Amino acid sequence: MIELRNLVKKFGSFTAVDDVSLRLGKGEFFGFLGLNGAGKTTTIKMMTGLFEPTSGSCWINGHNVHTEPMLAKRSTGYVPDQPWLYDKLTGREFLYFVGGLFSMQSGVLRERIGEMIELLEIGGFVDRRGEEYSLGMRQRIVLTAALLHDPQVLIIDEPIVGLDPRSARLIKDLLKLKSRQGTTVFMSSHLLEVVDELCDRIAIIKNGHIIYEEMRDGSRIHNGKLETMFLELTR
Amino acid sequence: MRELNLVLNAKAQGLLHRTFDFRFRAFAKDLASILIFGGFIIGMFFVGRTATIYLLNQAYIGQFLFHRFLSMILYLLFVTVNLGNVIVCYATLYRSEEVTFLMGLPISHGNIFLAKFVDNFFHSSSTLVMLGMAMLLGYGSVFNMPWHFYFLTMFAVVLPFMLIAGLIAVMTLMALIKVAARIGIRWLLTLSVGTYLLAVYGYFSLTNPVGMMQEVMKQFPNVHGYYAHLDPAFSAFLPNHWVTEFLYWSVNGNNARALPYLLTLNLVFVGLLVSAGLVARRIYYRSWLAASDARATRGPTISIPAGGILEFGSKRIFRPVADAILRRDIWLFVREPGQWLHVVVMVFILCASLVSIDSLNLKSSRPLFQMLSFLGIFLFNGFLVASVALRFVFPSVSLEGETFWCVRSSPVDLNRLYWQKFLGLLAVVLVVGETLVVVSGRVADFNPDLVTLAVVSMAFVALTLTSLHMGGGAYFADYKERNAIRVASSQGASLTFLLSIFYIMVTVTILWVAANQYFEALILRKTPPSTWLSWPVAFIGLISLLASIATTWLGVRCFRRDY
Repeated sequence: MIELRNLVKKFGSFTAVDDVSLRLGKGEFFGFLGLNGAGKTTTIKMMTGLFEPTSGSCWINGHNVHTEPMLAKRSTGYVPDQPWLYDKLTGREFLYFVGGLFSMQSGVLRERIGEMIELLEIGGFVDRRGEEYSLGMRQRIVLTAALLHDPQVLIIDEPIVGLDPRSARLIKDLLKLKSRQGTTVFMSSHLLEVVDELCDRIAIIKNGHIIYEEMRDGSRIHNGKLETMFLELTR
Repeated sequence: MRELNLVLNAKAQGLLHRTFDFRFRAFAKDLASILIFGGFIIGMFFVGRTATIYLLNQAYIGQFLFHRFLSMILYLLFVTVNLGNVIVCYATLYRSEEVTFLMGLPISHGNIFLAKFVDNFFHSSSTLVMLGMAMLLGYGSVFNMPWHFYFLTMFAVVLPFMLIAGLIAVMTLMALIKVAARIGIRWLLTLSVGTYLLAVYGYFSLTNPVGMMQEVMKQFPNVHGYYAHLDPAFSAFLPNHWVTEFLYWSVNGNNARALPYLLTLNLVFVGLLVSAGLVARRIYYRSWLAASDARATRGPTISIPAGGILEFGSKRIFRPVADAILRRDIWLFVREPGQWLHVVVMVFILCASLVSIDSLNLKSSRPLFQMLSFLGIFLFNGFLVASVALRFVFPSVSLEGETFWCVRSSPVDLNRLYWQKFLGLLAVVLVVGETLVVVSGRVADFNPDLVTLAVVSMAFVALTLTSLHMGGGAYFADYKERNAIRVASSQGASLTFLLSIFYIMVTVTILWVAANQYFEALILRKTPPSTWLSWPVAFIGLISLLASIATTWLGVRCFRRDY
């Protein structure tokens, strides 16, 4: 479902991502770890078409993100690390806007928005303007928008930061459910316990290189000691 | 004082790093900016010099009238800088995240205010100051003024003049924020716009430029006398009057009479600076809190009429993506007071310009006068359209803002999105331009052939100005800036505007050659050659299409670059 082939991103003489290759299957829940500035967000931005790779390629659902962006993006839902919304639109209007961008049919969209409002418990604030939202509210609206078109691939950059414990639990359960239903989830996070709890497989990036990647055979090499291993590897 | 130094120093360091960035791309960009700005500064020098020589030696209006007209232009500049500072200061003093950060530090509120004011003033007024300096050099060169005249005028007259406008603006703003809590922001905005319009209307009604000109011309050929009795009494209290009186007496070699005006300007400036500091110490923090409270406790959202044609979720008018973008743009526009407020101001300026053309009584049978009127009005209309493009087209890409991630990560064809924005904005610019050309043509009673020439040329001008401002806006896009007015007053915007002025001048030059051919034939009672209309249109069309293609290509490329 997701394939990164020898991905490189340079900013002038600085190489942010250097020869990253990964392969994720259907329904896999993947954790992407690394220190600040390691290259996680840059990798994600290339996967979502926000950055163009210097070399290499990203494939989503069999489509190259940069040569067939429309097809690749149609099957992707993206939650950025900074959940910016339009200050002057309400959450509901934002959801209608995003549904329009994904060319969802009006009737289906209305129904889906209703379902998602229930599921993510955002009914209490969905009709308030973006400028009135807290960080947690924004994150929940953005996650709702990412799930609206029922994507086959979900790319999430730091989904839990800023959420209260109840919202965090809600979102963790939802992501786990989506993964079980066959959605491939690529999640970047600093919260090791969240990654440990949710992910089937992890990789660690340091200075643009993948320095550790778990195999796909289901065995957990870190064996419950993710923090110790992470600190050791990223030292 | 130490705190103020620290904050200003941090800002200066940031500016220095941006200015002295020797990486190739940044250096090439800066070099291009310097060349374009340099070209325009030289151009403004010649405009200042030529206009002064023409008015004094050919139109022979005399030094008194010349300086009174200059005073009127300075009054408009004063009001513009004042209004501009009120709007921009609201963003920088009350909505900036930097201020929120600084408010959490042990720094006095007065110092935060002063640091932001200085930053704001030089951000929004530096281009005006540079171009003003070039015009001043052109003006002074006609009178062979010594070097210290320019130095003194720039730093002790023009700069305090503009700072006075800015200081009055921030004090007004602080008062307005306090009052807004009582009477509501909408009433306040209406009242403020009304006051500004009244200030302009009242000034010109009381100054009565036409009456003044007729009175001076009665003394012809003694037009160089000093007819101060024609000035309305209130003008002695206006900073624009002090500046022009200083200039008048300086160029006439009477430094003793010039000096009091220089002192007045600087004393008023210092007085206002101290007052602003004191006012800021007393009410800036409280007004900042009031503004924060007002933002946090908004009234109900402007409701979209249920089932209304523009309601999100109602029946789509266009294809889903185009429809979603259109609805978003409409609602973001109407819910942002700064946007529609400027629309109101622009509509007023456009109407006022048409009324002014009517009152100038240009219905003349003299071919030469008709030609000058035609070219002058076209030039003026071109400037107005360029201003509309600068204010509403240039920021359109930057206003995608930090939420652009949402569009960029969706299955949206960015080329198509660019063209959709472009066509919508072109329609607006075209309607404004053609309305101006047709109405001013009717008001001035131009020959239908001339109106046709102007209509076709304006279509090309609208196309080019839209392409140029959209392309420039994409090239200089600043997705972090939320304020459209600040985007439209950035360095990139100034460069784009200067390029558009250059393009309009080229267009008017081509029209001048064509109109000259036409009116020459009229004077000689011949039929104008059949090609008089077709070749200038073809030439303007060619230049316009080339400029539009180049800038649109650039715009699309920049629109697609890494976000």
